[in-house]
Amino acid sequence: MSRRLADGHAPAHRPRIAGPPWRPLAIALPVALATPWMRGWLESSMSLHMLVQMPLLAAAGFAAAMALPARSREAIALCVGGALPCLLVASLASMFWMIPRALDLALSEPTLEAAKFVTLPLLVGAPLALAWPRLGMLGRGFVWTNFASMLAVLGWLYRASPLRACNAYPVSDQREAGEWLIFLAIATFVGWLATLFAAPSSRQRMR
Amino acid sequence: MAAQETTIDRGAHPAVLAYLCIAMLVLLLMMVFGALMRMEQAEFIAMGPMWFYELMTLHGAGMVGVAGIAGIAILWHFLGQYVRLSAPVFVANLVLFVAGVAMILAAVLGGNFHGGWTFLHPLPSKSMGTWSPNAAALFLGGMLVIGTGFLLLHLDIARAILAREGGFGRALGWPQLFGRAETAPPPPTIVAATMATIVNLIGIVAGAAILSMMLVNLYFPDFGVDALLAKNLIYFFGHVFINATIYMAVIAVYEILPRYTQRPWKANRVFLASWTASTVLVLFIYPHHLLMDFAMPKWMLVMGHVVGYLNTFPILVVTAYGGLMLVYRSGIRWDMASGLLFVSLFGWSAGVMPAFIDGTIPVNYVMHNTLWVPGHFHTYLLLGMMTMVFGFLYYIGKSAREMRERLVDRAAFAVFVVATLGFTLSFLSSGRSGAARRYAVHLPEWVPYDRIASVFAVLVVAAVAVFATRFLLRLPAASVDAPRATLAGSMT
Repeated sequence: MSRRLADGHAPAHRPRIAGPPWRPLAIALPVALATPWMRGWLESSMSLHMLVQMPLLAAAGFAAAMALPARSREAIALCVGGALPCLLVASLASMFWMIPRALDLALSEPTLEAAKFVTLPLLVGAPLALAWPRLGMLGRGFVWTNFASMLAVLGWLYRASPLRACNAYPVSDQREAGEWLIFLAIATFVGWLATLFAAPSSRQRMR
Repeated sequence: MAAQETTIDRGAHPAVLAYLCIAMLVLLLMMVFGALMRMEQAEFIAMGPMWFYELMTLHGAGMVGVAGIAGIAILWHFLGQYVRLSAPVFVANLVLFVAGVAMILAAVLGGNFHGGWTFLHPLPSKSMGTWSPNAAALFLGGMLVIGTGFLLLHLDIARAILAREGGFGRALGWPQLFGRAETAPPPPTIVAATMATIVNLIGIVAGAAILSMMLVNLYFPDFGVDALLAKNLIYFFGHVFINATIYMAVIAVYEILPRYTQRPWKANRVFLASWTASTVLVLFIYPHHLLMDFAMPKWMLVMGHVVGYLNTFPILVVTAYGGLMLVYRSGIRWDMASGLLFVSLFGWSAGVMPAFIDGTIPVNYVMHNTLWVPGHFHTYLLLGMMTMVFGFLYYIGKSAREMRERLVDRAAFAVFVVATLGFTLSFLSSGRSGAARRYAVHLPEWVPYDRIASVFAVLVVAAVAVFATRFLLRLPAASVDAPRATLAGSMT
């Protein structure tokens, strides 16, 4: 009873750490991804399309939002109703792009391909960047744990599907994408959990 | 010592009391269901196999849930004295738990689902017409809702621990264990809460994945689930969750016995090492439930065997030995709370031994599907884990250090210990004689064991009814800050 709330361990020293170069990333990523060579390569297989190109597009939106001054980000987040609507938009938009039919359309319809390049940064990456600082450990943990378990389920769906889900990719690609999704689910969860073991300064850096 | 003598024991938050009330009511109901099942096997009553399996499903799921909420109520009560926890999240977990239980009750009593609490694939989706996919979905959905509540609560516990300790490594005392840190190690409560949180976060995420897969499979059977993978994930999640309940409840022992004996429970290196070891081992122990699955990779079975042996001892030995050392020549004043907590250490120690024996592969081949295994987990959970909860109930219900205990309570204590031993030994003896597990109808040569078990089961229910009633009668006192622990040597 003697060592209670009042005498918790002294907070660890938190050195100031420079953040990633958001602005160059926000410009360079979409430009690089839009080049014909990169598009051709990243859309050549289902795994690269779903697990490299799309997350990088979302990352570009995340970087763009993070490049804004903190006050502007706060104002936008307040204006759209806070963290929850941002998270909802991000999950709905990313769910749409996980549908195999959407992948097919992006490959066959230039309009949908353009929509992919616009919506993934704007409706997935940017809302996540707006929501993230407003989420505490509870919110972030809930996002990471749900993301990991649902990614694993999605991977299983792709692996177990009795049908070829995409016209553009063979069944072998689909199975491979499923396996990668399961691997990513495990890696995401283990990575998140590992950050909780780290000292606060390291955890800050990992965010 | 002087400082501890003036210490006021904190009263329980109303939400903790709500948890405990619900836990006790559900516990009693599930105990009655369990007694009815034994009476059916004993041929004292004739409810038929359909009802038997429905009650078995409810009994299993309900008892795991009761252990979960009672364990986490103890954890929350004591951990809240070191870190700032969120009461709304704690309440949200209870609301989700009640909602999940309602879904499970509707699935079983309304939809006739009786696939067991382990809901092993493909049973939920292949009922041969005895229940609908909707009933199975309601059951699996209920589990998912309960899991979501526990996930949220464990995330909040993690947040609070990290805010104080900085990282899980520090909360497990790694700087003191592996380094030369001069600072004091974290209190045992924080170490235990950290361990339970880590393993439950991992288990719940695995559980959510398999539950979602099985829900999809119910309505779209073409999306096949690998039965062996499903079994692995279910046992991983289920075994981790039920193991974690005792690691949460043992906090009552770490916190209350030192108040009685006026001796601190020290988080020394051996203590910290044992909790770190178990944090890892408890994640790899579950394959001992799959030793009969010939399709399992051999290395996993060997791992289950070896880890099953290793994980039996670290925390148990440290806690049981620590408890004995704490009590030895302390002049402890025995009352219901301290007595039950002390007995719980015996229940835990005795309860793991049948599992230790069953974890040996050649023994497992002949014992695992017998009543030997229910004998193990009833000893472990009833005389170990739940006895810690009963001890906590008596402790929190006290309004003064020196409270005269009624004869009925002391009689209930004696009846509980003797009847639980009789009840669990009946299970173990049945198992030894080959009585099959999960059978509604028993062979004539097994029935005598069932009859003895039925009598003991009724006595256990009666004793627990006394514990629960006493707790409910003392509810007003339970929320008040008061000196509760009868101090060692304070009475002559």
